[in-house]
Parts: sequence; structure tokens; C-alpha cells
Amino acid sequence: MKNVSKRFNIGLGKKHGALQRILSFLSGEDRRRYIWALRNVSFTSKPKEIVGIIGYNGSGKSTLLRAVGGIYEVDEGTIRTEGKIVSVLSMYAGLNAKLDMVDNINLVCTLLDLTSDEIRKSFDDIVEFSGLGRFLNTKLYKFSDGMLQRLAFSIVVHCNPDVLLLDEVFQVGDKTFQAATAEKLDELKKGGATILFTSHGYSDILDYTDRLIWLHKGKIMMEGKPEDVYRAYAKTDSFTV
Amino acid sequence: MKVGKVLRTCTKLAKYNFKVRTEGSYIGIMWYLLNPLALFAVLFLVFNDRLGGGILNYGAYLLLGIVMFNFFQQTARESTGIIEANIEIIKFMRFPREMLILSMVIKNAFSHIFEIAAFIIIAVIMGSSIQGIIFYPLLFVPLFIFILGVSFLFSAVAVYFVDLDNIWIFISYLLWLATPIFYEIGGQGRLLLFNMFNPLYYFITIGRDIVVYSRIPEMWLVGGALSYSLIALLAGLLVFRRLKGRFAEML
Repeated sequence: MKNVSKRFNIGLGKKHGALQRILSFLSGEDRRRYIWALRNVSFTSKPKEIVGIIGYNGSGKSTLLRAVGGIYEVDEGTIRTEGKIVSVLSMYAGLNAKLDMVDNINLVCTLLDLTSDEIRKSFDDIVEFSGLGRFLNTKLYKFSDGMLQRLAFSIVVHCNPDVLLLDEVFQVGDKTFQAATAEKLDELKKGGATILFTSHGYSDILDYTDRLIWLHKGKIMMEGKPEDVYRAYAKTDSFTV
Repeated sequence: MKVGKVLRTCTKLAKYNFKVRTEGSYIGIMWYLLNPLALFAVLFLVFNDRLGGGILNYGAYLLLGIVMFNFFQQTARESTGIIEANIEIIKFMRFPREMLILSMVIKNAFSHIFEIAAFIIIAVIMGSSIQGIIFYPLLFVPLFIFILGVSFLFSAVAVYFVDLDNIWIFISYLLWLATPIFYEIGGQGRLLLFNMFNPLYYFITIGRDIVVYSRIPEMWLVGGALSYSLIALLAGLLVFRRLKGRFAEML
């Protein structure tokens, strides 16, 4: 990622109808007002590396992951990625409450670019990892939030990502599941994956990351050893930085 | 991504979406057939002895027109909300946006196939000769491409103009009346002139020529249908690709 900047047009009204949009344009009301969510952000991440991104709300963490994931187009700079990118920016993305667990595993794996053969090979591992084998034929609207998170997380970590993007989704499941998650992420890392994940800054981020980036108001404040960056970040609060 | 893989992925997604739509419904796929068949029954009863009096095989003529128009109308309408309906995927997943549209059109093609099956059964019951149905796939391909192009266009524009759905309901109603579905153009010059610019006229007329009357359609009709398919696909893809980068921000 080199000199990446991303801005949003906050003057452009969403959910406008055709007439409203035309009238706003003609009257000059629909002014272009921009806010920079990322400003000249540059960093490199290698295979077999877990990079954490911390920062307060509105610091640009999610925007950064979406830019890396190709969900947002950037306005300036370049992003170069290699291999298959899997983004988990919302735990429920792709899941369908009206379908059962078997169909949902197939559906989400398809959305994550797995072929039918690959899905067949990964299916048992996904079910075993999730610990939800008894609910294979249960429709998802009967699942609790915790079960949904376990299922979603189990699917994505078994989709052979080269680059895995996780947005505030690290606190999934109970202690046992979290331990299994950490183990799986470590396995992915050793297998050559690059993992980027964001957090508001819980101290347990230090257990997983090889490097930490502190983002504030769209700019990188500090980057380096997790302990050093976290110590500097923890001394501040959102109003004084 | 290779074309074969794209088609396989989209067909798979279409199957799940089709399943979701019929899930929990006792009459399942009959819901797909209810609207066109009820419309056919009413129009046939009302017009069989009047507007349809001079039209050979009026039952098959009418039903094929309804079924083909329905495929276009329903898909175009669904496309105006398809990006919003998949907001979680658009905002949070790295998945080619074009494939959402393609899978939606394939899903509606499944219902079209059921409607064509119902058409065959009803036409046979009514004593119409429809051997030409075996050539329908030749027409289905450009029709599918045309509808896909329109869907690309509508789905992208609807993100910026949220009332496109309401506008489309109004326009499609006018289009329904202006397209010779339950009547014949005959010698009405102005109506014929209008229909020269109406792609549905080309597809429906060719469909009737092939299926209902077992004759080869005129070449200018075939040329028109192919041209509209190509133009719709190119224009739709162009607009979609230009606008898709901002979908996640606009929702």
C-alpha cells in the first residue's frame, strides 16, 4: 500500500430519488463536501505475518481493510496484493437465515470463490471446527448470535486465503473457541497467509500480532513492535491525540 | 475469472436464491406461475372473441407473449433492488458485483423455464401445434443477453436513483400496453413505428413465428433482436462498471 488516500463525499445525499437528485443538482444544494478517511497511508505486509491495526472509532481502520479488499476504490495511491483475498468485515455477510447450515456453508464458500470440489474437501473441517455438527439441517434463523459467529468464522478460515482481512471480529465464541481460532490463525500464517485485523485496542491483540499499526484520523501515527505501539496508544485517549 | 467458472458459480447462487424464494411455501414454484397464468386466463376470457378473434391460435399467441414479457418485466424490476438486497455482500465481501446480477437473471431464467413448461402444457390442451418450441433456445439466448444488459443498467442506476423501482413500475405498465401481447398491430402505422424502438416487440414476434406458427422469422426482426441484445449488454456493462466502484459507499 503506497501513499493511499481515500475520501468520502459527505455532501452527496444517499437514498435520493431521481427528481430530488436533479433538483438538488440544479439548485446547487448537492454540494461536494469531502472528508478524508485515509491520508497518505503506506505500509507493506509480507506472507507469514499477522498485522494488527488499532485506533479509535473513525480512525479509518475499516476503510483501510475495505481498500485492501477492493471493496472501496481509493482516490490516490496504489495497493498491490498477491493471491486470494478473503475479507471478514461483517460476521453475517453472505449467510442466509432461511437456509440450513449445510446450504449456508456451500453458499458462503461459493461467495468466497471455492469450487465445488474445494467445498467438499473443506466441509467436514468447517463443521468440526465450528462445533455445530448437530445443527447441520437447522435453518439459520434458529441459531443464536454466538452460533452464527462460530459458523461464519469457521467458514472463512477454511477458505484457503492468501490474505485474510478481519474487522473487529476477533472476540468470537467462548474461551475454547477463541483458543481454536488463535491456533487456526497461526496455522494459516505458517502456511504463508498474510493476516490483517483491526481492533479498538484490546490488550490481547498483542498475543496474535507480529506488527502493530496505530491509525488515527486516517493517518499512521506509529508502526512497529506490538508492545511499543500499544504502549504509546494506551497512553492516549481519543480526545487528546 | 474464466467464463465457465463464472457461469457455474452464478448458477449455484441462482439455485440457492431460487430455493430461498420457494422456502416455506406450500405451493412452492406455483407462485411463479400464478401471475402469468391468472393474467392469461382473464385476458383470454375477455379478448378471445374480440381482439383475438382474427388471430390464429390466440391462446398460444397470448400466453407466449405474456410469458416472454413477464421474464423481462420481473427481472428488470428485481434488478432495481438487487444491489440494496445484497448490501452485506456489497459492503463487506470481495465478490464480483457483476456475478450478483448474472445470478439474479439466471434465477429468473429458472422461473421462465417453468413458465415455458406451463405454456407447452396449456398450448397442447388447447390443441395448438407448437413443434417449433424445440427452436426456442435459439431465441432464449439473445433474450437472456438483452435482459442481462438491462439488469446491469438498472441495478447500477438504482443505487443513485432510489425511486427507479417506482418509475419502472409505471414505464413497464405503459410498455405492456404498447407491446402487442394481447392484440395484433395490424395496420396501425404509429403503433408499428413505436414498436420498431421496442426490443420486446422483436423478441415476442420472433417467438410467436417460431413456436406458435412454425415459420422462419423475417431477417430484419432477427437482426433487430440481435442488435438490441448487443447494445443492451454493452451499454449495461459500461454503466455498471463505471458506477460499481461507489456502490459500497452509496449504500
